Amino acid sequence: MNYKAGICNFCGTGCGHLLNVEDGKISGVFPSRNHPVSKGRLCVRGWHIHELIRTDDRLTTPLIRKNGKLESASYDEAVSFAVEKLKGIKKPSEELGFLASPRSSNEENYLFMKLARSVFKTNNVSIQSESGQRESLNVLYKGTGMAGMLGSIEEIKKAEFILVVGTDITKQNPIIGSEIHMAAMNGSTVVTICSRKSQIAKLSDIHLQCKPGSKKILLAAMAKGLIEKNLHDADFVQKYTEGFEGFANSLGSLNDGDIESLTGVSAQQIAAVVKNLSEAKTAMAFFSSGISGLDEDTISYIYNLFVVAGKIGKEGCGVNPIAGIANLQGTYDMGVAPDLLTGFQSIKDAETAKKFGKAWGADLPVENGKDVYDLLAAKKLKGLVVVDHDELIVRQQKAIDDLDFVVYFGAFNNPFTELADVVIPIGTYVESDGTFTSTDRRIQLSHRKVEPVKGIQAGWQVYSMVAAKAGAKWNYDSPAAVMAEIASLTPNYSGVKYDKFKGIGGIQWPCNDKYPQGCPRFNAGDAKGKIKFVSVSANFKGAEKNTEFPYLMMTGKAQHFWHQNNLMRRTFIPMREYNATLLLYPKGYVEISPEDAKSIQVRDKWPVKVVSPYGSMKVTVKVTPDVKSESAYVPYFIRDMISEFLMEHKELLEQGEDAIIPVRIEKV
Amino acid sequence: MFLIKKNEVLKLAQELEKSYAVYGPVVEKESGQAFLTKVDSVNDIDLNAPIPALPPKSVVFPQIEKILGYKYDRNSKNVDIKMVVVPQAKAIFGLRSCDLAGIQCLDRFFLGQEFVDDVYLLHRKQMFIVTNTCTKPFAQCFCACTDSGPSAKEGYDLNLTDIGDSYLIEVGSDKGKELCEKMGLQKSEAAHAAEKVKVVDKSLDSFEKEAVENKAWISRVMNRITTGFIKPQVWEFIGDQCFECGACSFVCPSCSCFNIEDFNKPDTAVDRMREWDSCSFEGYTRMAGDHNPRKPIEDRRNKRFFCKLSYSQSKKYLRPGCVGCGRCAWVCPGDIGLPNVVTYVRREITEREINE
Amino acid sequence: MSEYKVITVPEVAVIKEIKKEIEDTSTFYLEFENPEVAKNFKIKSGQFIMCTIFGAGEFAVSLPPSPENDRFHISVRAAGKVTKVLHSLQPGDKVGIRGPFGNGFPFDEIKGKNVIYVAGGIGIIPLRSSIVHVLQHRNEFGRVIVLYGARTPQDLMYNYNIDEWRKIEGVEIYTTIDSPAPGWKYEVGFVNTLVEKAKVPVDNSVAFVCGPPIMFNSVIKDLVNRGMREENIISTLERHMKCGIGKCQHCAIGRTLVCTDGPVYTYKQIKTLGEQI
Repeated sequence: MNYKAGICNFCGTGCGHLLNVEDGKISGVFPSRNHPVSKGRLCVRGWHIHELIRTDDRLTTPLIRKNGKLESASYDEAVSFAVEKLKGIKKPSEELGFLASPRSSNEENYLFMKLARSVFKTNNVSIQSESGQRESLNVLYKGTGMAGMLGSIEEIKKAEFILVVGTDITKQNPIIGSEIHMAAMNGSTVVTICSRKSQIAKLSDIHLQCKPGSKKILLAAMAKGLIEKNLHDADFVQKYTEGFEGFANSLGSLNDGDIESLTGVSAQQIAAVVKNLSEAKTAMAFFSSGISGLDEDTISYIYNLFVVAGKIGKEGCGVNPIAGIANLQGTYDMGVAPDLLTGFQSIKDAETAKKFGKAWGADLPVENGKDVYDLLAAKKLKGLVVVDHDELIVRQQKAIDDLDFVVYFGAFNNPFTELADVVIPIGTYVESDGTFTSTDRRIQLSHRKVEPVKGIQAGWQVYSMVAAKAGAKWNYDSPAAVMAEIASLTPNYSGVKYDKFKGIGGIQWPCNDKYPQGCPRFNAGDAKGKIKFVSVSANFKGAEKNTEFPYLMMTGKAQHFWHQNNLMRRTFIPMREYNATLLLYPKGYVEISPEDAKSIQVRDKWPVKVVSPYGSMKVTVKVTPDVKSESAYVPYFIRDMISEFLMEHKELLEQGEDAIIPVRIEKV
Repeated sequence: MFLIKKNEVLKLAQELEKSYAVYGPVVEKESGQAFLTKVDSVNDIDLNAPIPALPPKSVVFPQIEKILGYKYDRNSKNVDIKMVVVPQAKAIFGLRSCDLAGIQCLDRFFLGQEFVDDVYLLHRKQMFIVTNTCTKPFAQCFCACTDSGPSAKEGYDLNLTDIGDSYLIEVGSDKGKELCEKMGLQKSEAAHAAEKVKVVDKSLDSFEKEAVENKAWISRVMNRITTGFIKPQVWEFIGDQCFECGACSFVCPSCSCFNIEDFNKPDTAVDRMREWDSCSFEGYTRMAGDHNPRKPIEDRRNKRFFCKLSYSQSKKYLRPGCVGCGRCAWVCPGDIGLPNVVTYVRREITEREINE
Repeated sequence: MSEYKVITVPEVAVIKEIKKEIEDTSTFYLEFENPEVAKNFKIKSGQFIMCTIFGAGEFAVSLPPSPENDRFHISVRAAGKVTKVLHSLQPGDKVGIRGPFGNGFPFDEIKGKNVIYVAGGIGIIPLRSSIVHVLQHRNEFGRVIVLYGARTPQDLMYNYNIDEWRKIEGVEIYTTIDSPAPGWKYEVGFVNTLVEKAKVPVDNSVAFVCGPPIMFNSVIKDLVNRGMREENIISTLERHMKCGIGKCQHCAIGRTLVCTDGPVYTYKQIKTLGEQI
């Protein structure tokens, strides 16, 4: 049998696929019809994953930089050299950073995190990509104690009401978008809040095309409408929750008369959505936790809205952040964060630290670490260890260039190796067993499907090698043994064992004594204490009119531009699709409405200058009715746009998806 | 016509294994999914497996395959071009009739036009095909609407029909006859043939009850698709639901679009690969230098349905391009598998009809 | 099926000479490595070949040489990934050739008629073959008119050929550029204005039109307005192609495949295809 079951490794949906293995090479992919999430579907990326995996553009030998040039070395030499250099860093808690990959398996991420903390004594271990995920997890953890999606993709079909906030979900996580569309076809009411007419907006029953930067106000208005009309779930609020008063009070400062002018959405439309939400027995909210995800305050409003409507804690309900990368959820589960250990356990918690210290036979650094990117920006770092090519690294290329020592672990050749002093190859995800946790907390085991490229070791073996060189004795004979250790230290994973992964579909955590086979959703009764409304700001200031910069420009992702093209450039058909758009708009594009195009006197593909208070860029315009007048949309599409223009707006971009840049657009 | 006892039917495959690489329906254990694939052992063949996920085109026209190898040394100007080698002759055992119709479409397209596709021919020549009559349709099936089942009429070497204790073997070629005679199989009688007719009739009768997922009244839309008398709003409604994944083309037994790319290897040799492509992709018709003649999604979708359901395309296939296997319906992230599209077109549906 | 020939394997040809035509377009003179192949390589005007640039890929390109007594060459604009690599090659480098493919322009059928060529920019490339061929048989045709326009004098292809054609008796050559330029002694204005200037005949005439979509559409309009019948207006279509033999379907337009049914179509046919040109 050439076909072997596995899981797609692109986005966080966790689709099942089968890879065709012929002569030790992956030569095809097919969707898994019985898979509970994807049910026989894959997106354009998933359908071409074999193009990526079969590439010959691999790192085939360890490399050490000598006199400025990378030269082949043995694993032993490379690892020894790396350990010697890393151990030489005097204040690891300030000067050493570990940048993990949200594509690595749980086992590899766990060991990488363990390596940083127990061997090299630093808590500076993080990922930067898709940091919106952390904000989502913070909100959900504060509210319910569960740092993960509260609902389940499998239950989307049971949701009578589905709210999609922002995300261009049919492009970024197409199979989740598909589930929502299928639910709509079967009678669920789908409402999309988005300033652009995205595909999911077109497929929705109601599209609230709000002004850029006003999603939070719209969500607050909906919560306010629910409470004022007494349409909220008072029984649920009373029985399960605390903090309702505080939330209701913070809505007080929202003036009903301002809502329409602030959001561009009429009171009737909002009332209709509120009515739909309250009448539905079940409801789910979806939003992207991606690079352009929402800010914590907006996520808090989504969460509180669903709590007040009584739409969490039961089947068919949930507040659901969507991860854009395969093991993003799992990476946080594995404690790849400066302040966390596995399963969202705080490093400051003495009991937890003791538990880990004992299990690892090492003292852990006690202070919270720092985000590696913050350290890079602060120019404090001396050494850096990187797994895979993090997509945001382009923003810090100079800072990395200035470091004393950089170690790179990865499977593929990529530009980052040019910055590294030691390059240590690891196998791809099909060359080793490993588990991946997708966005609905679904832990899935991906079996080894092909022999590794000659002489290449799997990540978990390489990290063990590094630990051994540094004097720590790790005795893992397999990824299963690593998972056993994870389970022993992580309450939510305590019931996870490789033996349990029979068939396909995996196990959704919490997997523990209460739920030995996992649990699809957050159940209201499982909250420690009561479910909490999370605190929100009562700041309802909309974007201000500005005559000098009359356009509100949004940022987002372009279709066919995934993962900064680091992965996609090794594919042919998805890359061709990207190139098709690139050919049309070689300098990137800014979307404006036909009315605005008329007033600026430009046509599609004409060059324009986009000027903001901080800088300017030359791009071509894409004239589309998908954006409203006085709005503009610029997607992450080509590298120059990100590094040269958007970089200047770092503070604004930290507000996430709803960040807006006021600009003026001039004909060139 | 011959007979073979039910529990001995795989002996045919064993006999074929002596001269062919045998492909058949096998269930992958972890996922429980049936594939038509090269068998490790003929005993793995499961004639009762559901329609294999992968269409049999993967046997004659693989998802990705090398069609040429070359190496060019720019210094010495030396070019070394190598054709692909002839693979071992293949036998497909237990093909469903819809999938046979798919192969026939491909044959007529790849071999029956002005040019013969020599790579396809390498796979296809000397092939031995054993089809298997569906005694009962699956939920997704609509071969009855596309005249491609439940039993194959032509194009096979042997056709099996489960008639109770035995399989009736119909002979479709000299090759098939030789094999049966070589194995010394028992000749069938008129009663057996009559039994087969009953089996097929019963299978057809059970479509109403069993094949509940899909109906495609394609004869009602072929004329309109050919002439183009379809409201643009219908295509727009269909186009809005297209996620541009290409899946419908990949799983279609008769879709044959491909892309060709040269893969550079580290040792400077190059593999010219061809792989499945789909007309639903924006880059599909793109030409170098910023010109894309076919842009909106609804236009590109439109092209595929034209290919499956127009008279002019049927002339190339000598039958409708759709063979009624229902695969496109289950892989589509939108809700625009071919049967649904037929319904939308036929009833001029331009928006969601909630709780239909 | 018995007499099928292998068409997936390219024949090797050597680049003998490279001539820069205009800014991003050059002419590459080629010679097959195998003399047997060269001998059997018979083309028709309007056909195309698939050209492999080793290590980069393959692209479709129309054939500018005349079927008779002309040097084998292609003229290529550096437009995409593969063609850009071609432009980096030197004489002596080798390429792969498959073909020729496609239906080609009518020749015998149009004998005795007035022949009008209307080209814009690099649209002259596919027409060159037919122009040279007709001129080689000048006496067998009626009036022969070439109307050729480009943005600037520097954008005119095949200057050296055009100068020669001007010398041939009984050939009417009109060239034009979009706006006046120093030293330019010919026409100024868009190509379609030449239709009127040349007093293009419409009876017993056939027009070959090739150029960018805007030019194409306006020329067609003017020709039709003058009374030219749509079936007597002939053009050649360019499409993204991968196989050249009617299999990959990249060049499909409605029910026609440009590589095997085309690339030459009459305007009457093009109109029914229902896609953008």
